[in-house]
Amino acid sequence: MRRQLDCLSWRREMMKNRRKMWSVGGTAGAVLVACAVASGAAWAQESVAVRAVLVSSVPDDPAAAAWNSSVAAQFPLSPQVHWATRILEVTAKDVKVRGLHDGKQVAILLEYDDPTQDPDDAAAIEFMVGDKKAHFAHGQPMAQVEGGSVNIWFWKNKDSKALDMNAKGFGTLKVQDQQDVKGKGVYQDGKWKVVFSRALATGDAENDAQFNPGEFINIAFAVWDGKKDPASGELKEKGSQKAVSSWWYFRAEPQPDYSAYLYAALAIGLALGFQFVLIRKLKKGQSA
Amino acid sequence: MEAKIEKSQAKRRRIPVQAQMAIVWMGIYLFLKFFIKPPLPSSVIFMYMTMTSIGLLMYVSVYEDVLQAFKGPIVDFLRGDQLRTGSWRAARWVVLGLFPLLVGWQTYSSTAPSDQPPAENRTIHPAPPGEFVGLSNPVPNTPENVMTGKGLFAALCSPCHGNFDGKGPAARGFNPPPANFVDPGTIAQLQESYVFWRIKTGGVGLSVEGMPWKSAMPRWEVELKDEQIWKIIMGEYDGAGHKPRTWE
Repeated sequence: MRRQLDCLSWRREMMKNRRKMWSVGGTAGAVLVACAVASGAAWAQESVAVRAVLVSSVPDDPAAAAWNSSVAAQFPLSPQVHWATRILEVTAKDVKVRGLHDGKQVAILLEYDDPTQDPDDAAAIEFMVGDKKAHFAHGQPMAQVEGGSVNIWFWKNKDSKALDMNAKGFGTLKVQDQQDVKGKGVYQDGKWKVVFSRALATGDAENDAQFNPGEFINIAFAVWDGKKDPASGELKEKGSQKAVSSWWYFRAEPQPDYSAYLYAALAIGLALGFQFVLIRKLKKGQSA
Repeated sequence: MEAKIEKSQAKRRRIPVQAQMAIVWMGIYLFLKFFIKPPLPSSVIFMYMTMTSIGLLMYVSVYEDVLQAFKGPIVDFLRGDQLRTGSWRAARWVVLGLFPLLVGWQTYSSTAPSDQPPAENRTIHPAPPGEFVGLSNPVPNTPENVMTGKGLFAALCSPCHGNFDGKGPAARGFNPPPANFVDPGTIAQLQESYVFWRIKTGGVGLSVEGMPWKSAMPRWEVELKDEQIWKIIMGEYDGAGHKPRTWE
């Protein structure tokens, strides 16, 4: 008889516990889903961007060890088919890009495969200038959008330097009077490494891309294999016949900002305080 | 009959009011999130769930007994001194530890500077300009014309659009990628008039919501006659195995 009573009270206790589990478990589940809803906007979609890491000084040597501190972003290349004269096959299939900056200078390293070193091997970086959107093909005019111009940094092996240029549509390419960009290329083991460097900001915001740390700007790439066709002696890739990328993003990373950790610590403190006061009040209410 | 009603009420009472609310809340959330097509924006779901929460709180606060049934176990759990088993006491400490951490995490997520590039909400098929609405293909749909269109497609379009599947050898570097015409979401949903606009004015002809600055589509009006474009459209539909959309 006593055993039966024990069994009954145990079952009652179990039922009570189960009810409590239901209610607390259900409420906790709802709270978790609510948090997921609220923070849904924070899970932004990921795009590919070059991130120029903040370092103490920017190297102009493509082989400098400092480049290892920057993670390479890789972008696929296509033959330029948007505008005549087109090309349907190009040598470079991808370009790897790293960035560094020291708060004053920015350097961008392009790396790509090229089986032969030729005097006419060349590479370029393109940026949108200012707030207006510009078409990735040399800032081609757009029918329904007032486009801006592009700033092009162009390096050619035989010139051993970079040119700072602007364009607003094919056939409008113009070398700037004020040359701000440096370029240096090193060829090794079937691979080109080309570094472009410039001051983060110039006094010419109308023609030059400006790099404000923390701000994303649009960037695109072009590569020319300067190999000549053995039969005709003509360059296979020249002018608009090149490997190109679409627009991607570039950002000079800002100084680390730890304020969010401070705010989070403050919020934790407030939440703990709130819990303490609430439980104290509940206990007092119980004893009263 | 009365016994039946009492039975069902007793059954309902067996599920605690908190669990009932949680089930209703989650049920509505899952319905809004996964069953409504096209998917609702998270801001709209958030708005509906706020209204749901307010409604549920009104429901529990209308009757004193429901309010007590709702509040009682939560107050007991938070107070802790009436919890009998060790596992309940442990669960209480876990909740009391997790709550401040959750608040801290939410604060961090909303105040940490974003390191993500701007989100790009590109409209794939923006509205065409007025002059490209309602045009019909003036070229007769004969086997010869379809064949001519396919020939032009092979020479001019296939480097990017491939075998009508958007996987041509020149496609890999372009973002957005060239359209896949076999996919039922592209030309099968469009009228010939729209496709004519896209080929004739190319990527640079798009309106701002189509992000024309990113499109590699050539402006074929510079190099082709209208008649050739209409023939390409015929070849495209035939090759992709689709029919143009019509108003009927």
